[in-house]
Amino acid sequence: MKMPWSRKQAYLSLPLGAVSDAAAAAMAIPILPSTETGVIHLQGVECRYPGSDSPAISDFNLLVRPGEFVSILGRSGAGKTTALRVVAGFEQVTSGYVRIGGQLVGSSFVHVPPDKRRIGLVFQDYALFPHLTVARNVEFGLKYLSADERNSKIAPVLKMVGMSGYESRYVHELSGGQQQRVAIARALATNPVALLLDEPFSNLDRQLRAALRRDIKRIVRESGATTLLVTHDREEALATSDRIAVMGESRIEQIGTPEEVYQNPVSAAVAKLIGSCDLIPGVFMGGVVVTEAGVFPTRVTTESSMSDGQQVLALMRASELELAAASEGDERTATVEAREFEGEFSEYSLRLDSRTLLRVRRRAANVLEIGSRVTVHTRDESKVIVFAV
Amino acid sequence: MTFSGVISNGWKSTHGKRPPALLLASAAAVAFAALIPVVYLFVRSIEAGPDWTDIVWRTSTAAVFGRTFLLIVLVTIVSVTVAVPIAWLTVKSNIPLRKVLAVASVLPLVIPSFVMATTVIEMYSPKGVVQGWLAGLGVDRIPDIYGLGGATLVLVLMTYPYVLLTVRGALRRMDPALEEAARAMGYGPIHTFRAVTLPMLRPAIAGGSLLVALYTLSDFGGVALLRYQTFTSTIMTQYESSIDRTLAAVLSLFLVAVAVLLLVGEGFTRGRGGYHRSTVGAVRVSRRIDMGHWRWAAAAVVGVPVLIGLIVPVGVLAYWLVRGLLNDQELLPLLIPARNSLYVSLLAAVTTVLAALPIAILAVRFRSRLSRLFERSVYIGFGLPGVVVALSLVFFGINVARPLYQSIWLLIFAYGVLFLPASVGALRSSLLQVNPRVEEAAQSLGSSQWRVIFSITIPLVMPGAFAGGAMVFLLTMKELPATLILSPIGYRTLSSSIWSAASEAFFAKTAAAALLLVLVAGVPTAYLTLRGHGDNSEASDRSLVIKKGAL
Repeated sequence: MKMPWSRKQAYLSLPLGAVSDAAAAAMAIPILPSTETGVIHLQGVECRYPGSDSPAISDFNLLVRPGEFVSILGRSGAGKTTALRVVAGFEQVTSGYVRIGGQLVGSSFVHVPPDKRRIGLVFQDYALFPHLTVARNVEFGLKYLSADERNSKIAPVLKMVGMSGYESRYVHELSGGQQQRVAIARALATNPVALLLDEPFSNLDRQLRAALRRDIKRIVRESGATTLLVTHDREEALATSDRIAVMGESRIEQIGTPEEVYQNPVSAAVAKLIGSCDLIPGVFMGGVVVTEAGVFPTRVTTESSMSDGQQVLALMRASELELAAASEGDERTATVEAREFEGEFSEYSLRLDSRTLLRVRRRAANVLEIGSRVTVHTRDESKVIVFAV
Repeated sequence: MTFSGVISNGWKSTHGKRPPALLLASAAAVAFAALIPVVYLFVRSIEAGPDWTDIVWRTSTAAVFGRTFLLIVLVTIVSVTVAVPIAWLTVKSNIPLRKVLAVASVLPLVIPSFVMATTVIEMYSPKGVVQGWLAGLGVDRIPDIYGLGGATLVLVLMTYPYVLLTVRGALRRMDPALEEAARAMGYGPIHTFRAVTLPMLRPAIAGGSLLVALYTLSDFGGVALLRYQTFTSTIMTQYESSIDRTLAAVLSLFLVAVAVLLLVGEGFTRGRGGYHRSTVGAVRVSRRIDMGHWRWAAAAVVGVPVLIGLIVPVGVLAYWLVRGLLNDQELLPLLIPARNSLYVSLLAAVTTVLAALPIAILAVRFRSRLSRLFERSVYIGFGLPGVVVALSLVFFGINVARPLYQSIWLLIFAYGVLFLPASVGALRSSLLQVNPRVEEAAQSLGSSQWRVIFSITIPLVMPGAFAGGAMVFLLTMKELPATLILSPIGYRTLSSSIWSAASEAFFAKTAAAALLLVLVAGVPTAYLTLRGHGDNSEASDRSLVIKKGAL
């Protein structure tokens, strides 16, 4: 369902008080050719806070297409919130180009203020206006409409987020989850070009989080809004997104569908962010990797080729490994150090001879005792991904 | 650095946001206006030519300096000695009537110094009540109240609450685990207080002492009635008696220098941390220490200053009032001065809060070198005695702003310069509690920076604006020297009519007006302090301190 209203015509073209692409070209300022128009398009963006040595984000490239739901996944301090604030217009970029709906809105010489960008923003702490009721919060961005028109728009948006009947409540009278819904309604009411979500679930408890995640996914799909979400929670990113952009330090390391990124991480850092895993050192030898824990068939996800004898890191995912009790004469063995029972599965912690830790998830039946020696294998022909050191 | 240099650097605020030009312009105008008194005083003194050095080095000036210095040191030491035990006992011990005493021990500061002085003279002068009682016991003559002793007594009674409030705030903020750790390591209670508590309180004591010293430096009514000559009272005398007011101007400049020295000496403890504490969560309350049989003696330690500083003065005023009503004695006319006081104070409150808004918004939301410069220049009123501001504005009015001279607006201007720090402080702490994300949310919904300020920021800081306005209102009601100098001829307020009766020793006539003044100031202060025993203690105590700091 598309939202049944749209802004006045005057608002549809971005009122740029600043320089348009054409004008910038006329001023002979080099602008990278924009090969594809996305709703949000960042090219080589750098953002540097005054007085700080290193930029918060640099060489940052991201394209979000119409109707897409994209997540930026990264650990805290990686600069993902900065990236979001750059899109919203709260931070000025020091180099590179930010485009929204094809219009240049941010560069070293152009800065369109946030109120002229038509972006819907949902803050981590919701940032609802405490002195206004739910209805007044939702209609805040609709000031260009008459009072009647405004009132007619509040009801459908609140209905969509499941908050009908709360119009006259104040913010402090709502639970965290309800505040979250109102924040989303407020952002969607203005029919924004794109919806930006900053860690939207981090202030909620675990059970509420999963339910609300599904709800928001539905709301966003119904509204047809293009969405950019920022999170440090891999579950959240994997469950909600059409595509995931994994951030390393200050730049995006890999972008792709959740399945692509999970199955073919291009670096050890991405692998660690996208799924629980252990990385153990080994040597690449003609299609296999020789490690302390065993010899495993390999595959390579990066474009560079591996040569025999090269030092590598092997990506060991607990769910892709299996254990067997070691017998006399087995060379590469490990000791069971701990076992955590999880119901159908148990997670085993193994201690290798070099004291490195390795985790294996296997069916809870066939218990292996703590202290026993075991051998490690890959399950069902799965191959171990290796990264050059 | 050139002025344009300041602007271009100042604009690079921490978040790359540029303040709206009009906001910047109005803040600049306010900051400039706040600097007028000091700047003009300089101009005027320099015009005095080479003579002014003679004035400064004259022996009588040195003597006045010595007396002022002596009074400041004495009042500060005694105030700290009185206040620290009271703070500790009302926060950490189980003395009887603890809550009542906690509020009552702050209240002496609502009594204006000239009122306190009249009641002190009534009680303890050679012809006073106490002498009358003691005569029956064969004591012929108690020590003379006039001079250093009496001035110290009056000033200590009214200023120890400043130290009390700052120290109490620090005690409440202090993590009880620190003291518990010391106890666990084998320190006794007294040793713990010396080794842990007292060092933690040092910044608070320094901050409170600064307020005491600045107040003592700038007080006029109290020291004048007790016939102790300080810088401020000398300047007033000079101003009132001589035709050439240059001497008063030069002495005022000297007074500013002393105030600046005090501010620097305090070591900038004020404002470091404190304001920016962001955790709102419940502070763990330490167990109150059981004083055993000593708790009644301890309550007396708290009770004696309350008795001398609050109950006796109010009692004396009430006695005068009742006696006056019974004997059909002449009382001061109340209606006109009360109406004038109300009018001037309201006007001062509204103007000052409006002037404080751009400064506070700029300082909190658009931090830059320039916004800090504006805020600093506004805080100059914090260290400026009222007499200095008033004198400078008299010169300014006569020579530059002739239409303002002898109008109520010059008086409002003086109150604004003096009390801007109080309202900026209140607005500032209120603004710090407003989540900046809320303002960003409004902007992302299509509101311009101006609309955000008017539809979000200002409604959300209304509590702070009211608190700041109330403080300015109370301070204006009590203000004396600037009111005396700048009021248009024949314009009487409560404080100036009390003063003129008191300076002619018609103390009893002042009773009704003085009681009214004490009530108007006392009720809100008691309310703020009482509220301080709820969840919001620290904030309200600090707001009181900020308010008093501007005296």
